[in-house]
Amino acid sequence: MSFNDTQHNSTFTEDDSGTVEMKAVSFYTPLIYVSILVISLIVFASHYRKKTVKELNELPSLFDESIARDLYFELKQMNDSGEAKVHEKVLKAALLNRGAEAIRRTLKLKESEPQITMLYKNGCVGEEYWKRYQNEVKIVELDFKDAVQTAELMQPGWPQLFIAVSKEICFNQALKRRFQAILLRKEVFSKQWQVNFDSTGKLIE
Amino acid sequence: MPQSYDYDESSETWPFFILAVLCVVLVPLTAMQLWELVSGKKSEQHLKDQASILGEMSEQYASREILEFRAKAMAKKSKWLAKRNLFIIAGWTVVAYLVQYIGSNEEIQDAATLLFDPYALLDISTSSTDREVRSAYRKLSVKFHPDKLSKDLSSEQRSVLEEQYVLITKAYKSLTDEITRENYLKYGHPDGPQAISHGIALPKFLVDSSASTIMILTYIALLGLVLPYFVSRWWSRTQSVTKKGIHVKSASYFSDRLFNYKPSQVVTLDLIIEWLSHAEEFKLMFPELNEKTFETLLHDQINRKHSGNLETAKLRIVAKSNVLLFGLLDIATTFRNLEISNMTIDTLKAVVQATPISPYSQLLQLPNVNAESLTEGSVDDIRTIGKLFTYEDAKIGKILGIDDSTKLQETLSVASSIPHLKLIRAEFKVPGESVVTPQSMPHISLKVLVRSAKHKFFPPNLIPDEMCQDKDDFESLKDPFASLLEQPKLPQTFAPYYPGKRSGCWCALVVLQKDGKVIQTPMLVDRLSFENLNKDFDKRTVKNLDEEFKPEDWVIGSIKIPFSQPAPEEKGDFFFRVIVKSTEYFGTDLDFTLSLSVRDPSPVEQMEKEAADEASESDEDDSELDENDDSNDESDEEESDYTDIDTDTDDEEPEAGRVSDTKAEGDSAEN
Amino acid sequence: MATSLSALQYDTNSKLLDVPDASEDIEMNVKQINKLTQDLVSENNPNFTPQPRDDSTAMIKKLFENGLKQLQQQKMAEALKSVNLAIEMAQRKRTSWEAFAVQLQELQFMMKNRVDLCLVQGKFMDALQDLDFLQNTGLTTSDVFIRKTDSLLKLKQYEQARAEVERGLSLDPTNAKLRVLHIENTRKLAEYNGDV
Repeated sequence: MSFNDTQHNSTFTEDDSGTVEMKAVSFYTPLIYVSILVISLIVFASHYRKKTVKELNELPSLFDESIARDLYFELKQMNDSGEAKVHEKVLKAALLNRGAEAIRRTLKLKESEPQITMLYKNGCVGEEYWKRYQNEVKIVELDFKDAVQTAELMQPGWPQLFIAVSKEICFNQALKRRFQAILLRKEVFSKQWQVNFDSTGKLIE
Repeated sequence: MPQSYDYDESSETWPFFILAVLCVVLVPLTAMQLWELVSGKKSEQHLKDQASILGEMSEQYASREILEFRAKAMAKKSKWLAKRNLFIIAGWTVVAYLVQYIGSNEEIQDAATLLFDPYALLDISTSSTDREVRSAYRKLSVKFHPDKLSKDLSSEQRSVLEEQYVLITKAYKSLTDEITRENYLKYGHPDGPQAISHGIALPKFLVDSSASTIMILTYIALLGLVLPYFVSRWWSRTQSVTKKGIHVKSASYFSDRLFNYKPSQVVTLDLIIEWLSHAEEFKLMFPELNEKTFETLLHDQINRKHSGNLETAKLRIVAKSNVLLFGLLDIATTFRNLEISNMTIDTLKAVVQATPISPYSQLLQLPNVNAESLTEGSVDDIRTIGKLFTYEDAKIGKILGIDDSTKLQETLSVASSIPHLKLIRAEFKVPGESVVTPQSMPHISLKVLVRSAKHKFFPPNLIPDEMCQDKDDFESLKDPFASLLEQPKLPQTFAPYYPGKRSGCWCALVVLQKDGKVIQTPMLVDRLSFENLNKDFDKRTVKNLDEEFKPEDWVIGSIKIPFSQPAPEEKGDFFFRVIVKSTEYFGTDLDFTLSLSVRDPSPVEQMEKEAADEASESDEDDSELDENDDSNDESDEEESDYTDIDTDTDDEEPEAGRVSDTKAEGDSAEN
Repeated sequence: MATSLSALQYDTNSKLLDVPDASEDIEMNVKQINKLTQDLVSENNPNFTPQPRDDSTAMIKKLFENGLKQLQQQKMAEALKSVNLAIEMAQRKRTSWEAFAVQLQELQFMMKNRVDLCLVQGKFMDALQDLDFLQNTGLTTSDVFIRKTDSLLKLKQYEQARAEVERGLSLDPTNAKLRVLHIENTRKLAEYNGDV
């Protein structure tokens, strides 16, 4: 310590004739200072990373629901837990429905990509929406892969055909949904335009 | 390196510090305030510029509650302005005091005089020649030389003057002697480098002993807490609002709705209102209310129903709906959905006019109309204002169920003042070209006439081409959209049920006819002259159109829609549907098909262009307009000798299969 | 979302699923799975392919041709009934995985005929919605636009009619029928707006 003191004093007296009071500084002070700094940074970084991961997990799906997938797992669980003996063909049907839905989502996401990119670039939606989109693409991909793997377990050698069949089912289901919507559309438009029909659907003028 | 810092014991620097900080805040704030003052005057001015019967009636028919709400909104704004004004005034007062303080403080003056300026000392200009320097020095040295000083001066005065002499000599040397001059240029002083002192612009008592801890804490608080707090708040604020001014959560919700929208669904007013009621803005304004309530309130607005004790809440969310619907419109157009885009604008109309969407909306938006007698009473099915004006006034009163004659007159004056757009000319235009060449950058140029539904109909070709031409000067070639700013802003809307004064706009949507989808975000038209509406060109009294119609009496408006993409590479005709939709009134929109004819520039034209580069090109322009007219107006085209294919199935089946095969993929995925 | 499915019921005998009081989406998915189950039960080959089944094709064709015969005999109402039946059969008998291209073409073909039968009998709203369906499934021939414009004119929706006829003309600028309809619609629209 004394050595330190003298050296300090000598340097200072040269320039400044001792106007600055000297205080003894422990050797550990800089170490403590640095370690506090480093530790706080590490804590902040890990906290931040955890928070972003949590946020990503909590991001709501772009799709309103995931019923096709949920229904399959509900049935499977029903079967596995022995609550009810679910016929193999029903499980297969639920899996096909899930596969078809996964294909629909993949197509939908691919198709909407330019639009969502444009929305994000134009600042019409926030950062969060963009993250949700990218998240969704990954989730759908995983879900489809999982469905294909399940198909392999269910019936070895099936996956290739499963994908082909799911594709047809996807389109046919969409066609059917539109066909079934015709009735409702009729009602809505009749109300909106205030036109009346007789019981057979003939226009009353 | 000096090892100690000077504190501002004599208070010579800290006023400068505060002055600088104050100016950094005050100058932009004041500029902003002044700008707002000017632009506010301007916007008031524009309302007066185009004062129309609509604005007057809007005030007259507004209920007491609406008027109070509008007044309150104005008061709130002015109160906020008053607070800011107060701050600005106080700030400048402090600045004035500081300036005065600095001026009167001797220490500061002294510090300033210590700065060495040889030109000032010798009292010459900086551009003086050596000779001038020398003569100035000689003159002054005669005056100040210690030997020449008068004997009866006190020793004090003498020393001041001697000092002055030294300075003058130094100044002279610094301008003539090589070394001194170099010193002056390098260090700002003839004697070479001066001692540099780093000071802290704080009075010493703040840094001394006991106060020093407080000072350090203040610094930590400022830099470590207050600054990050404000920065993060500013950041989260910019992050929470989209560029279109709606909350990101609302934007996300709307995008979700568009993304999950099933094409088999019918888009109705109720659907849009349901979406709108989920807006984050409403939740932030009224955390105690839920979506269902917002939905009911919005329906109340449209159905002109009083919402009881939620009336103020209703008015506030209605006022907010405007920006939300524009945000939704932007998202819907980006998703290329025409149906939803159209219905969003219709919803805005319904909210503004407090009139539900029905076949009779055009008439129900008028004041005093009795909805029951309108739908039940009349024999003829009248749904448009234009049709209404084919009847005599008394009959109109009967149709609308208005007995009172003054009320009827007011209704009629509103009805005849509602602006209807009439298309005069439409074309794709490339500035400076007569045709649209491949890969050029065209825009859509519309010539419209704002007319009243009361006016007698006349075909657009009665308006001569000369009236539909844009200026062809350099400025309009450089920026074809600049000329639009010469048109006056839209006047106030007739909207007695809307909780604010508004003038609205027309939204121009462009749709690709090939797939029936929107191709670009809407362009908003908020400038058009309404002068034509004052004309009495009554369809019931005008008998001879050719005699009574004078084209020069009418004002032709101009709308230019930027086209988001360059013209296609290949030549050919491409068809677009252009929809110019009012956000304010029902039945005033334009909807037509426009062809984009991509052609090579004709050799004749090119030669002409080369020949008459600088001459006027009016002849050429005429021919071009004619040409475009033909292609726009399909119904006027001559019948071709093409025989109709109505052979049904056989021919079309394979083609249909092919088309649907490729298309269905995307379509089904959409469902 | 999974919680809302806790009401899922499975009937071991009929092998059908049911979720009482479920949302529209759940109901739709349950229906789709039930349809798939039924299709699977009647399918013995575990490696079934999208190949369309000939017996279904023949049956649907027969029902449809029945309708066309009635049309030739001017029995419009009966013809419409037969065509409706054929469409209904196609919806029921065809499995979900039979080639989409075949199913689409079959349905579109029958729907086109249904549209004409509806138009003849003054059922303009029925025709219009069928036409909307055809258009939305990718059929954008001039025929569809002609019939759509016609129905809209009859329903007095002149502004929509204008949009349709103009789009039809954009895709087929020389179509004479569309041009006639365009002129007619322009006239009607002018009258509707009192611009004569």
